[in-house]
Amino acid sequence: MKKSMRMALLLLLSLFAIAAGVALGSTSISLPVQLAVLSNRIFGTALPEGLPSVTPSILWNLRFPRALMAFAVGASLAASGTVMQSVLRNPLASSYTLGVSSGASLLAALVIVTGFSVLGRYTLPLSGFIGGLGTVFIAISLALHFDRTLENQTVILVGMVLSLFVNALLTLVTALSADRLARLIYWQMGSFSGSTWENVALQFAVLVVCVAVLTRYAREMDLMTFGEEQALSAGVDLKRVKLILIGISALLTGTAVSLVGVIGFVDLIAPHAVRRFFGSNHRLVVPASALFGGLLMVLADLASRTVLAPQELPVGAVTALIGAPFFAYIYFRRKRGGL
Amino acid sequence: MLRLEDLRAGYAGREVLHGITAEFETGANYCVLGPNGCGKTTLVRAVAGLIDSTGVVEIDGAPLRSLKRREVAAKLAVMSQVSALYFPYTVYDTVMLGRYPQMSRRLFGRVTGEDRDKVEQCLASVGLQDLRDRRIDELSGGQRQRVFLAQTLAQDPEIILLDEPTNHLDIRHQIELIDYLHRWTASGKHSVIGVLHDINLALRLTDRVLLMREGRIVAQGRFSEIADAALLRKVYDTDIAGFMRDSFEIWRDLK
Repeated sequence: MKKSMRMALLLLLSLFAIAAGVALGSTSISLPVQLAVLSNRIFGTALPEGLPSVTPSILWNLRFPRALMAFAVGASLAASGTVMQSVLRNPLASSYTLGVSSGASLLAALVIVTGFSVLGRYTLPLSGFIGGLGTVFIAISLALHFDRTLENQTVILVGMVLSLFVNALLTLVTALSADRLARLIYWQMGSFSGSTWENVALQFAVLVVCVAVLTRYAREMDLMTFGEEQALSAGVDLKRVKLILIGISALLTGTAVSLVGVIGFVDLIAPHAVRRFFGSNHRLVVPASALFGGLLMVLADLASRTVLAPQELPVGAVTALIGAPFFAYIYFRRKRGGL
Repeated sequence: MLRLEDLRAGYAGREVLHGITAEFETGANYCVLGPNGCGKTTLVRAVAGLIDSTGVVEIDGAPLRSLKRREVAAKLAVMSQVSALYFPYTVYDTVMLGRYPQMSRRLFGRVTGEDRDKVEQCLASVGLQDLRDRRIDELSGGQRQRVFLAQTLAQDPEIILLDEPTNHLDIRHQIELIDYLHRWTASGKHSVIGVLHDINLALRLTDRVLLMREGRIVAQGRFSEIADAALLRKVYDTDIAGFMRDSFEIWRDLK
C-alpha cells in the first residue's frame, strides 16, 4: 500500500475512533444523531424529532469535548515522543520515560495548590511547559554529564531517577495540601472527564502549530538520528534546531499534562508502531504518530470508562497497563541486537 | 583550497592540537599519519567545525567560522564510521539526506529533479541502485559503508574528510572505498583528506603525507621525500619501515 493511502486510512480510523468515543457510554448515541447535533450547534439546523432533550447536551458538553481532548492530548504526546526519540537517538526516549511529564506536573501542581496566577487560565498550561522544559534540560545535562554518547541505558536510568525524584516532590506537595488532596491525586492519575471546549481548543491549537513546525524540521530530525556529528557535518545548525525541537516537545507535553494530568507510554508506543508502517522519514512519522497517538488515547479513554462501567478507571493506568510491558519488550529485544 | 594556520583545539581545557599550519590544494589527496593520540581525529573534527578551535581555517579564502553550517557542508563533508543505527531508513532516503545543504536553501526544503538526479548518480557510482529500497540496518557492513559514501558524495562537497571510516571493514571493502574516492578525485575538482590507520591503505589513496606526533606536524610532503626509516621510527616509536619491509621500499620509490 502506498504511504499516502496509509495516511488516509489512519486519518479515517482516527475519525472512526473519535466517533466511537462519542457514541459509546452510559447511553449509546448513533453517528447520525452525532452529526445532527453537531450541525445543530454549528449551523443552527433543526434537531431530529423525538430526540431526548438531554442527548444534545450530553453530546455537546460531555462526549465531544472529552473525545476530542483525548485525541488532542494523545496526538500531542505522541508527536512530542517522536521528537525526543530523534533528538536523543533513542527509541526508548519519551517525555514520560525522561521524567518530563513529572516535571510538568510538579509545576502545574504547585500552581493548583498555591492558586498562583499570571495569565488567567493560561497559567496552568504555561507552568506545565516551563516545568517540562526545565526537566528536559536537567535530564539531558545529567545524562551528558555521565555519558557523552547518550547511551540508551544512561538516558533511561537518568530519566527514571529524575522521575522518582520529581514524583517524590510531587507527593510532598500533595501531602502538604490536605484541602486539595483529592483533586491533585485524581489529576495525577490523568483523566479526560470534565474537559471543556476552551481546553480542547487550546490543546488543538498547540498541537497544530507544533506539528506544522515539526514537519518543517523533519529533515533535520532525520539527520540527527544518525548522530550529532553527522548532522553537523551534513549542514544542520544543530544548537538552534535542537533547542527548537526540545522546546516544542516540552510545549506539547507540558500543555497536555497541565490540562489532563500524567498519562504515559502513548508517546513511546505511537512513534514505534508508526515506524513499522511508515518507515523512519520524519515528514511522515511526525503526523502519523500524532494521528495514531490520538487514536490510541481515544480508545484508552473509551476503555477506561466502559470496561468497568459505571466505575471509571484512570486513563493513565490503562495506558501504563499496556505501555509498561511494551517498553520492556522493546528494551530487551534491542538488547538482543534487533532494531 | 583549504588553508590552516596555527589551528589549535582540544577537549575540556586540554589542548590536543598545538598549532597546525598546512595547505591542501584542490584536486590533490592527502593522508594524515601518526600514532594513536597524536591528534589526527581532532584535526579532522576541528577542520570540519565539529569542535571549537582557534586559529585559521579557510576554504577558498573564506574563513570557515564565518560561514553557515550548510554553506560549510556544501564545501566540506566528513565521513566517519556510523556506529549505531536505531532508525531504519531506506538506502534511497539515507542518500537523499546528503542533499540537505542544497535543499535547506530552498523554500520548504523542496526536493528538485536535480536532487533526484544527483542521488541516482551517486547510487550508481557506488553500485547500490538495486538496493535502493532496502533498509540500511539489513545491509552488510560493506554495503552500509557504500550507502554513507553515496550520502557524502550526494552532499557534493569540494573536500571529503575521512576519519577512519574503514575500521570495521574487511580488506576488500577498505580497498574498494579508497578506490572509489580515488576515482572521485580524478576530475581534479575534489580533494580527499584522510585519517587512516593503515599506512598501506593511506598510501593507496595518495602519496601526499602529513606526519603528526603529539599534536604537531613533524613532516609534510611526498612520501618519497619525507619517508625515512629514522623519522618514522621516531614518530611511531617503533620500527615501521622494518615492519612494512618491502612495501616501504615500494611506496618510497613510487613517484
